[in-house]
Amino acid sequence: MILMRDRRPEGLTVGIPQGLLYHRYSVLWSAFFKGLGITPVYSGPTSRKVLEEGAGVEVDETCLSAKIYMGHVKALIGRCDYIFVPRVDTFGHFRDMCVRFQALYDQCRNLFRSTGQKFLTYNVDGEFGITEEMAFLELGQSLGFSKGEVKKAYAAAKKEEQRAWREKLKAQEPLLKAGGTKILLSGHSYVLDDPYVGKPITDFLRSIDVTAIRADVVNRELALKKSVELSPTCKWEVSRELLGGIALYRDQVDGIILVSAFPCGPDAMVNELLTRKLKDIPLLNLVLDAQSGAAGVETRLESFVDIIRLKKGAL
Amino acid sequence: MPLKLERIKEGQRVIHGAFPRYAEYNCAMKYMAEHGFHNVKFVMPPPLTKRTEEIGARYSPDYVCTPFKTLLGSLIEALEAGADTLVMVHGYCRLGYYGELMEQILRDQGYEFDFINLSEYDTWKKRDWLKVIRRIDPKLNIPKFVQAARETIRMMEHLDEVTSDYYQICGFDATGGEVRRAYRRFLAALYTADSGEDIEGAYKRVKQDFQTIPLNKPDRPLQVGILGEFYTVMDAFSNLHLEQKLADMGVEVHRWMNMTHHLLHYGEVKNLAPKIRDQCEYTMGPTSTANIWYAKACAEHGYDGLIHVKSANCTPEIDIMPVLQNISADYKIPTLYLTYDSQTSDVGLMTRLEAFYDMIETRKRALS
Repeated sequence: MILMRDRRPEGLTVGIPQGLLYHRYSVLWSAFFKGLGITPVYSGPTSRKVLEEGAGVEVDETCLSAKIYMGHVKALIGRCDYIFVPRVDTFGHFRDMCVRFQALYDQCRNLFRSTGQKFLTYNVDGEFGITEEMAFLELGQSLGFSKGEVKKAYAAAKKEEQRAWREKLKAQEPLLKAGGTKILLSGHSYVLDDPYVGKPITDFLRSIDVTAIRADVVNRELALKKSVELSPTCKWEVSRELLGGIALYRDQVDGIILVSAFPCGPDAMVNELLTRKLKDIPLLNLVLDAQSGAAGVETRLESFVDIIRLKKGAL
Repeated sequence: MPLKLERIKEGQRVIHGAFPRYAEYNCAMKYMAEHGFHNVKFVMPPPLTKRTEEIGARYSPDYVCTPFKTLLGSLIEALEAGADTLVMVHGYCRLGYYGELMEQILRDQGYEFDFINLSEYDTWKKRDWLKVIRRIDPKLNIPKFVQAARETIRMMEHLDEVTSDYYQICGFDATGGEVRRAYRRFLAALYTADSGEDIEGAYKRVKQDFQTIPLNKPDRPLQVGILGEFYTVMDAFSNLHLEQKLADMGVEVHRWMNMTHHLLHYGEVKNLAPKIRDQCEYTMGPTSTANIWYAKACAEHGYDGLIHVKSANCTPEIDIMPVLQNISADYKIPTLYLTYDSQTSDVGLMTRLEAFYDMIETRKRALS
């Protein structure tokens, strides 16, 4: 990170890659940068090309979502002053992120070193007491803004994020009460919300009259508490939210689909545990990779839904 | 090994404890278990074989990292050998979740056992680890425990130091096998050690042996630095005896990553991060700082090559590869990246190592 304490930047542009944590924090990030008078530049929706470009730069063995992310980063190279890549280690005890999020910022700097592109980060590390607010404060101040300005921008952005989150929660409530076939989708937001990877799944489910409930759209604090019922030593924040979501919603749905991007580290283990523990509800373990064709996924979804409807006597 | 059965009171259960095979460290675990507690008998799991890997892989999820499969296989073999209590450690990466999933898998297979999962005791407060010790032995003799811990630490330090010496000299043995025999005697002595004197004696003997055995070592042999993922880089079975293979080609093999350096004395080298500020700003993973620093140190030292060892799907080690690639380019040091899974074959590895050896050897001659 380049320090520019001497003067306030004018007309600064920051590139935001639309992958990984973007799907969790899009409102917060956009509002924060706009609040500081910084213009966010977006990489655009994921496409086949983004994935291929990303797979070309990223190490072969990384997960599908990381490859997509690198495609987004590549698309922003040279289009902005900084590309924003957050580093999140842990939010607190047993609230870790996958280790990939610790490495992401430095990985980008190394992968794109030859382009001369500058990167910007914020660092959340609960083990050292660095909260999200402190991370944002450091980020804003490193760009030359005063502490007061950054605090104000963060507070406003946080407010907007919370409002958007409440709306999202509210929008799911009627779905839970709806009739017909209801299926709980459990997956990272960067998989399910990705227009190239996850959206075809929700679209297809809608086309066959299935109500899709999202496990991650849940009261997060409650979900963290509930998660220990299914897995007492799970330490990944997002996985725990999903576990909690499953624990809270399982009685209100007809089946669960675990959606995972190949080869997701936490999912490889947590989903294995879930398939061993959730014996009383239909469960589909769907792993998506760069080769997943739409037809193959649709066939599996369709047969899963058929089984559920057959079981309910609705077919 | 002599277990002081007379000290176990009527009605108190003897714990037949086991920990999966991990390089040669099981001798230290056995020593600690049997000397630190009065009610534990350590069940040594059989040495790792293809069978261990196969049974482990059969019950493991597909794309979990390979050590999970190997360790699970080793736990099953420990149960078959009579263990009734299993211990699984805690860790910063997926290792921290090994315990819970392994327990679930083993219970689903119908095994009955007591499981001590250290992840359950992790509260970020060091004193909570005492609860584990109390659970194993409620009537713990504290002075005895402390002494056993001290001796165990000495054993691990000696083991790491001697192992490091061994791979640096065994490729230049002029006697056709004396170095190897001395090292094996040392290991056997550690596995059967019953006192602090046994440990120190074995250490002194092997150090003497290494000094007196005639070597045929050039002034400037080929030097290769090995780094990588915590389990695979240390466990000779899991890396298909990588270090021995290189040593047999006549290479001086260096490896920093071991228990002594990374667990027991890591604090002493705490300031590694500033030394790699040019390469990375933050910690990238549990062993990343040490590995990046070591790669750089080897390069600056003028070593002839680097080998990065990891198991398939090891996220932290995958993520430092771009950094290592840049170090390799900046310092012009050839780097071989090896990914191990349960399918990796000995012959395939040998071909790659021979090609790597030929390349660094030719390069060295051309540059000198």
